[in-house]
Amino acid sequence: MTTLWQYRELFVYLVRRDLTLRYRRSVLGLLWTVLHPLAHMGVIFVVFSGVLSLRTESYAVYVLSGLLFWNFFTQSVTTSMTSLAANRALLLKVPVPKTIFPLSACLSGLANWVISIGPLLLILVVSGHPMGTSLLFLPIAIVVGFLFTAGVGLALAPLAVFFRDVVEMVTVVLRLLYYLTPIMYPITMVPERFTWIIRLNPVGPVLEIFRGPIYLGLIPSVQSMAAALLVALVALAVGATVYRLTGDRVAYHI
Amino acid sequence: MGPVRINLEGVSVRYRLSTHRIHSLKEWLISCLGGGLSYRDLWALRDVSMSVRAGETLGVIGPNGAGKSTLLRVVGEVLRPTTGRVRIAGRVAPILSLGAGFSGDLTGVENVYINALLLGRTRSEIDSSIDGIVDFAGLAEFIDSPAHTYSTGMMARLGFAIATAWAPEVLILDEVLSVGDAHHVERCRARIESLQAAGSTVLMASHSRHAILANCRRCIWLDHGTVVMDGPAEETLEAYHATVATCLGADRPRPSAPPGGLRFSG
Ligand SMILES: Nc1ncnc2c1ncn2[C@@H]1O[C@H](COP(=O)(O)OP(=O)(O)OP(=O)(O)O)[C@@H](O)[C@H]1O
Ligand SMILES: [Mg+2]
Repeated sequence: MTTLWQYRELFVYLVRRDLTLRYRRSVLGLLWTVLHPLAHMGVIFVVFSGVLSLRTESYAVYVLSGLLFWNFFTQSVTTSMTSLAANRALLLKVPVPKTIFPLSACLSGLANWVISIGPLLLILVVSGHPMGTSLLFLPIAIVVGFLFTAGVGLALAPLAVFFRDVVEMVTVVLRLLYYLTPIMYPITMVPERFTWIIRLNPVGPVLEIFRGPIYLGLIPSVQSMAAALLVALVALAVGATVYRLTGDRVAYHI
Repeated sequence: MGPVRINLEGVSVRYRLSTHRIHSLKEWLISCLGGGLSYRDLWALRDVSMSVRAGETLGVIGPNGAGKSTLLRVVGEVLRPTTGRVRIAGRVAPILSLGAGFSGDLTGVENVYINALLLGRTRSEIDSSIDGIVDFAGLAEFIDSPAHTYSTGMMARLGFAIATAWAPEVLILDEVLSVGDAHHVERCRARIESLQAAGSTVLMASHSRHAILANCRRCIWLDHGTVVMDGPAEETLEAYHATVATCLGADRPRPSAPPGGLRFSG
């Protein structure tokens, strides 16, 4: 941990590079980091509140806030997995903690997540969704979400080096998990006898404490908060352990 | 003679190659359940011990696959040996090897920053050294272009400029001086010499007799992961080339014999 702190300038640099690289040589440049999620969310909002006219507008807010977290989670986990191979040349050249690359992938995801909250708030204002002081809880929810995701990313990154099929397997699992997570549907729609499956899904509690303050306008209960924190810390512990056990072997297999 | 900078004691590196070349988790799980995996062990280094002092430049020679790059990676602390102990006193520069991996999408400047930040330099230190680095690499016009537009030699120059910018205590060169043009090679030699005078230790692996003789007093000869000889550069080169000559001599009586294992069918 203390050694990672020494690399804070590197993290800042890598994240900034990731954000700008995607839109380099485009006319609007960095503006895209805001426009992209805004356009994406705008479409979802129109589809869910207008075209489908399923429920009220707040259903669109439910879907949007859920997707925001989900996109962060999958994007970070996926790029973490490929981050070691992508930086192979550096890993065989400079002695650095190998956690740097998956962590910086998650930090870039985090930056995108935080940036996309701006457009989300804009949509809340435009649609007249009630906004309360519960929004002040979001930073805590985001930190917990980041710790959880970083744990998963750290655990999977070395495995993806040792076994070539891990990336594909995880992609399939993430797909499955997406449907097992109440993002597009409310958990109340799930028949009683199946809800335990949804409740076993570790992503649920972490998502809940982020979506609750936006969609319901409520600060999460102590139980939900504890559940999310527990899941996040377990993921982090697993990630750190996998890394400690296998970190030295990465250079042999990359 | 300066203090000991690099000290290896009984260092061995084992690459474990599974006989079925397992790539996938699925296959691995299946073969674990099916009663154990079979491995073929490849010892890239066997029980290597050596010390190198400050101000010394050590050449490393030996045939392809002898373990030279592996030795340099162990000294560069990017590969932790399977057994044995490695002690390095001081800062190690990034290992310079051919195709010295820069990210192709990023510009030269960005690559300089990432490499230097990984080395533990601060932003302000890099800010004040960047001009000198670009200048030494001779890339002033190209430094804002993506690295994939650079030639092999340009990459090598930039890599060398970064690695030597902050007078490292240990500099590791894996066959890099062979791609620069004559002008650059001469500048590198001059810089290595001044680093050496300032007390840096240099480790260079090379197949070029000329490069070894021009830079090193001492040289080790590796073969199949073991140190065959460790002595003055000229004598080691002499002995190494003598064995190459006798090998060729031994081959000569049967020049038309097909090499074992190579069969053409169909
Ligand atoms: N990642 C790896 N996995 C398995 N075996 C490896 C790996 N890297 C190197 N080896 C093996 O280790 C041995 C030593 O390799 P090394 O690259 O150190 O040789 P070298 O002396 O640098 O050769 P060259 O002169 O061609 O550069 C070789 O037999 C090689 O096949
Ligand atoms: Mg080599």
